[in-house]
Amino acid sequence: MDFLSILTPFFFTLVASGTVIGIIFGAIPGMTATMAVAVCLPLTYSLGLENGLALLLGLYVGGISGGLVPAILLNIPGTPSSIATTFDGYPMTQKGEGERALRIAVISSFVGGIISLAALFFFAPALADFAIKFSYVEKFLIIFFALTVMAALSSNMLVGVFSGVLGIFLSLIGAYDISRGGNGELRLVPEFLEYYLEGGFSLLPVLIGIFGLSTILIEAESGMKDEKGLSSVKIGKGKRFDFSVFKGQFVNLIRSSGIGTFVGILPGVGGSAASILAYSQQKNFSKNPERFGKGEPSGIIASESANNGLTGGALVPLLSLGIPGDSTTAILIGAFTLQGIQVGPLFIGNNPVTWDAMIVAMLAANIVMLIVMIFAIRHIAKVVMIPKNILFPIILMMCVVGAYTINYGVMFDVWTLLIFGLFGYFAHKIGLEIAPFIIGFILGPSAEIYFVKSIESFGTLSIFFTKSWIAVLLWILIALSVWFSVAISRKKKRDLTASGN
Amino acid sequence: MTGLFKTLATAVGLAAMVATPIIATAADLPSNVRLVIGSKSTGGDTYQNSAIIAEALSKKLDINVKVDAVGVSEAFKALDRDSRGTTLMMFHDGAYMGNLYGVRGYDDIFEKYNVGATVSINPGNAYLVAKDSPFRSMEDVFAAAAAGQRIRVAIQAGGVSEIGLSAMKNAAKIMYPGAEENIVAVNTGSQADKNQLLFDRQADVINGSVQANEQFTQLPQDDQKAMRFIWVTAREKTIKQANPEGMGNTTSEELLGYTTPNVSVTMDGTNDFTFDKEFFFLFNKDMDPAIIETIDNALTEIYAEGKIQETQKNSFFIPNFLPSKEASAYLKDKSETIRKIISSISTQ
Repeated sequence: MDFLSILTPFFFTLVASGTVIGIIFGAIPGMTATMAVAVCLPLTYSLGLENGLALLLGLYVGGISGGLVPAILLNIPGTPSSIATTFDGYPMTQKGEGERALRIAVISSFVGGIISLAALFFFAPALADFAIKFSYVEKFLIIFFALTVMAALSSNMLVGVFSGVLGIFLSLIGAYDISRGGNGELRLVPEFLEYYLEGGFSLLPVLIGIFGLSTILIEAESGMKDEKGLSSVKIGKGKRFDFSVFKGQFVNLIRSSGIGTFVGILPGVGGSAASILAYSQQKNFSKNPERFGKGEPSGIIASESANNGLTGGALVPLLSLGIPGDSTTAILIGAFTLQGIQVGPLFIGNNPVTWDAMIVAMLAANIVMLIVMIFAIRHIAKVVMIPKNILFPIILMMCVVGAYTINYGVMFDVWTLLIFGLFGYFAHKIGLEIAPFIIGFILGPSAEIYFVKSIESFGTLSIFFTKSWIAVLLWILIALSVWFSVAISRKKKRDLTASGN
Repeated sequence: MTGLFKTLATAVGLAAMVATPIIATAADLPSNVRLVIGSKSTGGDTYQNSAIIAEALSKKLDINVKVDAVGVSEAFKALDRDSRGTTLMMFHDGAYMGNLYGVRGYDDIFEKYNVGATVSINPGNAYLVAKDSPFRSMEDVFAAAAAGQRIRVAIQAGGVSEIGLSAMKNAAKIMYPGAEENIVAVNTGSQADKNQLLFDRQADVINGSVQANEQFTQLPQDDQKAMRFIWVTAREKTIKQANPEGMGNTTSEELLGYTTPNVSVTMDGTNDFTFDKEFFFLFNKDMDPAIIETIDNALTEIYAEGKIQETQKNSFFIPNFLPSKEASAYLKDKSETIRKIISSISTQ
């Protein structure tokens, strides 16, 4: 089939509608890009492979990008990979700079998406060859590296590390999954909860509970008082957006997009790790690390360029090895198998038309995402103006429905949402740190499996230091990350002491 | 309680109402049917096979059949909860093998559920080595194990992936008593993990499939990713039913070179062990038998029309329709054979 004959108006309509629907899915707490792709997957039967992929890739790019909206405006990450966006996005919204934060995030997302797409187009086979040099050992070290971020993100390092370890602990509840190489036995589960906690607590209900519900409970406790139900946040009160915010951010954009792409090509590491790593690196390299977490635009740039950088990266192992790079591409592979197309190391060479169509679809999806979101931001940002007594019940209902549907209708996921909503509320009261907790919760299972499998494969702990030059490099990065965290913490203490004096 | 708390409580109630499933029943089958599968992957053979069957049933019965990739544990739970026929399950031999291997959470499906029609075979269950491996055949593997060399086989425990390893150990025990102890499992998860273990040379043999691994067998030997089939577990007659072009650049004729009798993994010293991965329905024990009959009748008509066979073969499935009663008896026999293999090596 001729490549140009595929690029019909219908093809681009599918990309555009997929992107818009994806943005909507991503923007609703509890709905994800993965869910959007899963819902539309059967359509590829009737649409054919290229048109089907146009729709699904639009959903993928839109879904990942849409997650930034609730992360910035409501402090609820629309997708797990938007967690780091909440760290500075929501504080900017509180300062009346929600619209500005959204514009920064959308442009960063676009840049991340385009850089990763270029990497996919030009270097896919070479990157896949590099990716297979990462065994269990190197993957564990990457996860460990991402975990060191817990210290950097904490206002009190000791409490932060404790919160992170608590997150890891809770993430290990449930069966040691056979499908991940475990023995299928339950750990840390009381007998009366065995039925419900077989698969542990689902990530997304935990996430929207701890970010969304707990925030709502805290706000509900304070009541509406003299605000007459109106949000205290006013749009446009703070600084307005202009492109000068990107001045000096070239390195940040390239590095963060690169981290996103790189993490994307490593199957099993995940998008959350990408944005968290990019965020922490930007904080570590920043001259003003103390501004992070208080509404620093470069934090949003790092997080969003990294999580959209993931989109191209995750397609590298999919199209070069037949191995999905993240949960969404794991669904996407179904589009190929449903059409009886083999995806593996010969895919690109054997299917040049499909490959080119995918690249065009990804490019078009990124452009549509940029245009749609830039124009819609002004209206989207007004969500913070909706009175709380209307907005919060709507969000809560979306959270509950989202939690119920995430695993195709499991009521315990709704309970998980409520349990972790209450946990987040009490954690706020007693001073536990939520960001390190959730990072620990997300990365804990991967850390466990890669650590155990490394030991099972190599039989010695020394392998973590001797496996390869990549392992040595990762140890250096881990040491630097810890050193930066300690240095930042000490500086903070000194500043506090000085201001106290 | 603040006014906001009251509104929030109302919202939770409304959400719970929205979340309650709506049941619409047709004559025998509900008009909306959920086909849960024992896999979380939409890229795997279980989803692909189920999607083909779901589409055919939807058209034949004029109902909606939606495939949900919920995974084994949630699929069994969903089936346990629903005796109305709104939830059906599709899975493969792994459904009873988990029980035979003693994996927690797997009940005896022949006791707990009604085993329904078989619909197809995936003939692609295979074992591979790195292309530059000293082992070029199963004979090499057995000889090395007999010579005391430790052979590491990457599998996912407790199911279809493990049965080939059990058969290898059983064969080694028969041919070279004691050698079976040198064939050891490396428990891992997804196909990606198994492949990675081979790339790292941390496994000597991996379980894979013709569909997922064929392209790797086409790579040149100096490529770290290059692999070689050494055993395809399917029966010879099953592969012979596949389209002649086979999968990718490997024809059916070439695939026959990796099945019995060209590759021998003995089951009892006389007959070779073979294994076809078969897909079948599972129903709630209390579900109205009329629904099973309706599905059986619909599938009989669908297979009689002959179109679905083409679709299945194009996706490298071998059509294998047996109505519920025959299928249940057939699978029960098959499970007993596998039970013997497993108990043979567990009593070594």
